[in-house]
Amino acid sequence: MSGSTQNSAPLQKHKDANVSDSKDASQPQKPAAQLEEDDEFEDFPIEDWAKEEEVGAQANNTHLWEESWDDDDTSDDFSVQLKEELKKMESRK
Amino acid sequence: MSDQLDSLWADFATAHNEEDGYLLATTISPEPPKHDPARLYNWQRWTNAYSVQTDLRYKLQYNPVLKLDKQEASTWLEVFTAHYAFTGKLLAAEEAQNAGKSREADWSAVYEAWKEVLNALHRGYSRTDFAAWTIPCLYVVGKYLRVFAIKADANAASQRDSSVAFGELQEEEDPYGAASKNEKLEDAARQINRIFALCLSDRSETVLSRKWALYYTANLLFKTYFKLTSISLSKNILRSLAAAGTDIPPISQFPKAHQVTFKYYSGVLSFLEEDYAAAEGHLTEAYALCLSSAQRNIELVLMYLVPTMMLTRHRLPSRQMLSQSPVLEGLFLPITTAIRAADLHAFNAALEKEEEEFVKRRIYLTLERGRDIILRNLFRKVFLAGGFEAPKDGEPGPGARRTRIPVKEFAAALQMAGAEVGDGEGGVDVDEVECLIANSIYKNFMKGYIARDRGIVVLGKTNTFPGTGI
Repeated sequence: MSGSTQNSAPLQKHKDANVSDSKDASQPQKPAAQLEEDDEFEDFPIEDWAKEEEVGAQANNTHLWEESWDDDDTSDDFSVQLKEELKKMESRK
Repeated sequence: MSDQLDSLWADFATAHNEEDGYLLATTISPEPPKHDPARLYNWQRWTNAYSVQTDLRYKLQYNPVLKLDKQEASTWLEVFTAHYAFTGKLLAAEEAQNAGKSREADWSAVYEAWKEVLNALHRGYSRTDFAAWTIPCLYVVGKYLRVFAIKADANAASQRDSSVAFGELQEEEDPYGAASKNEKLEDAARQINRIFALCLSDRSETVLSRKWALYYTANLLFKTYFKLTSISLSKNILRSLAAAGTDIPPISQFPKAHQVTFKYYSGVLSFLEEDYAAAEGHLTEAYALCLSSAQRNIELVLMYLVPTMMLTRHRLPSRQMLSQSPVLEGLFLPITTAIRAADLHAFNAALEKEEEEFVKRRIYLTLERGRDIILRNLFRKVFLAGGFEAPKDGEPGPGARRTRIPVKEFAAALQMAGAEVGDGEGGVDVDEVECLIANSIYKNFMKGYIARDRGIVVLGKTNTFPGTGI
């Protein structure tokens, strides 16, 4: 029984392959119990996918995280109000 | 006998001729393929329990189309014999289910029968009868072992419930106390572990190795342990994989489905151990690599990545990111808005509102740390608002920032932010304020000390708020 001669996974056909033919969410028949636990990862519909299909390669994937809130900007509303409040305190002394 | 099983044997032969493991796996799958929906019924009717071995021998050993060597054919004989018995049990259970008699569906028997299929396959691999390209068969057997275990346990539970509901006496009490309500799933965990060990122990060269099933199997184990809430057992898997080192090909060479799932679970495990740096690494990779159409899985990754990034990078998800998922938006928008606005009152409200969800997903405590960060940022704003001292003689530019700050100023900021520091009579509870300041210092968010008698906080001159640049 000869094996594949390449270095990568010998599972050549995995790009289109399914482990099972039917939808992942359904069971052999109507399930007797809730199968998907809240944090359980779902089966992917395919074993492998091209780079273009990765989340990281999507065009609209740029502005996901806001800049760190560690900024020295003292012009935001809160800081402005705070300065006013502190001035008031100062003048009350 | 008219051979309506042609499709099955054709697929089996093609799979061997083309070394297509996934096609091979469909021949033993509990779900019939789309092009042959009646397969399982035909399989049942094709023979009977007495003749099954003989009939199979013709198909497997005396078949000119298939070129299996004797040992391999003999092992497949075992597998299909077990599979035949399993199919009988499965169809019986499904029939009962469809007839509305769910409680009579014997999923326990289905589980045990499927386990025999697993055992036959396990023997095949142990004897190295099966080449590595066939390992999708291990995926199928492992995956459905979990499925049937969960159904069997659920069935047993509903049977117990119904007998209790009707007040029947339990005739045969389990002498050791209540049988575990996850009896079959616990057994499944042990079986899948056998598969894991089987793959780990393969000494053949990489290309021909069963090691390619390792991450899939590890993922099955993670899912099982999480469901059994024996999450710490997952660490053994990680340890085994780490110990194998370079004996296993790098994860990047495995199918992405295996990689993403593995990184998700690794990330969650790190998260639960409060190793947020590691969690960030794993979850970020899982996120970037994930199939872009797998909405639910993306949500699951972000569920943990959002609290993680909050702590490790002090970054919040953008509105744009949250708007992509109603689930995430509902969970995180109120709390992130509160943090951005340094609004403690809103923060506490947001935390409380979704408390149940957060706790269920085990992210409550991590999110709660957001409060520390709001406080830190608040104090930092006070420091920044405090202005500068006069420059020292002869030195240009503004002096150092003022480092002696009255507690009252912190109190004012806290009140503005909606902190509960009132004394109940319209004034400020100074002790409460000092407590919050002291906590921040203790947690190393702020450097300094409180000079209580003078009512001021003396802050460090350098690196006053570690990690924030001032």
